[in-house]
Amino acid sequence: MKKEDFYYELIEYLEIEPVELNEGTALNSIEGYDSMAVMSLIAFCDEKFGKKINAQQIQQLTTVGSLMEFLGKENFEN
Amino acid sequence: MAAVIRRIEYYLPERVVTNKQLEEQYKKWEADKIFKKIGIAERHVVSENETAVDLAFEAAQKVLQGYNKDNIDFLILCTQSPDYFLPTSACVLQDKLGLRKDIGAFDYNLGCSGYVYGLAMAKGLIASGLASGILLIMSETYTRHIHSGDLANRTIFGDGAAATIIEKSPQEHFIEFVLGTDGSGMQNLIVPNGGMRHAKDARATETVNASGDVTSANCLYMNGPEIFNFTIEAVPAAVESVLKKSGLTMNDIDYVVFHQANKYMIDFLRKKIGIPMEKFFMDMTDTGNTVSPTIPIGLKKALDNNTIGPGSKVLLCGFGVGYSWGAAIIEM
Repeated sequence: MKKEDFYYELIEYLEIEPVELNEGTALNSIEGYDSMAVMSLIAFCDEKFGKKINAQQIQQLTTVGSLMEFLGKENFEN
Repeated sequence: MAAVIRRIEYYLPERVVTNKQLEEQYKKWEADKIFKKIGIAERHVVSENETAVDLAFEAAQKVLQGYNKDNIDFLILCTQSPDYFLPTSACVLQDKLGLRKDIGAFDYNLGCSGYVYGLAMAKGLIASGLASGILLIMSETYTRHIHSGDLANRTIFGDGAAATIIEKSPQEHFIEFVLGTDGSGMQNLIVPNGGMRHAKDARATETVNASGDVTSANCLYMNGPEIFNFTIEAVPAAVESVLKKSGLTMNDIDYVVFHQANKYMIDFLRKKIGIPMEKFFMDMTDTGNTVSPTIPIGLKKALDNNTIGPGSKVLLCGFGVGYSWGAAIIEM
């Protein structure tokens, strides 16, 4: 998946305000990244990547890049 | 002997808390956004002196209206917010409702899976000849367990009760059941204090999570992400299993009623399993998640608007606290 497409889909899933995302974006800095968005993040990982992400793993996520790392760097291209 | 659902009624306490009211209390909160996501606009909440037995009584009175209550020879009540440790709420209700004394009555402690378990037990009681007319009540006042500062849970949960009459029938309407349990998830939805292991503690520390929700060990704690993960695994598997066990496919099913946890979660499960939208009950707008009553409330609403009727094959699935889950296929 192209990184740009990934950012776009992530914004769609999390239903957050459209913002410029990049690997360095801190998840906590995103307006609307709350407990509802976390529910969507779980759905996103399951639907798009077939990956289960548990509560502890979610807590350990810091940036958008750390999420991409969790999902597997090999899934992304520039 | 076989079993059939004869009647369903439900009762919601009068007091209503709207999203607008919650928005006034929590400035960061957006009523419209919340409604869009979780499908809840308002929830009914018990007043200070109202209890699960009171709600159960009202629901039972409704379902017994115009029914010969001497036909009831078993009373079963499901709650996790009982009036007392003892006596059993079902015993209190037997007297309040003026039911016969030569009948069985007991409570059982389950949450969102409660209705499916109740139907399964009713089937067993009727098949064994122990009962022929069962009053099965789900009554819950979860809001009593929730900290006033816990916005996330105050948004989701509402109080309510539902009463179902199950009778013996020459033809089996309770087609198939599968039940499941995984106690390793007990910590993810729990009221830690107030039982015998940890007494209620007036000095319990209040904790605030990243979203600003307040709770303490005296109150309900829910690990939302873990509960969601549990349902993603358990629910599709239970649905597949009950279909397989009954030799049916989703095409044979007229309608599906899941526990109404929240709109986002159950719609995700619907898509994952591949249940067509038009076969799927999804309405918690004016009730919120009432825990075990959500499935009978859904059945009643679907019966009232003629979405289902006599002969409809309905798949039910309840899942949550425990972890505990169950799926059933019944014919109305």
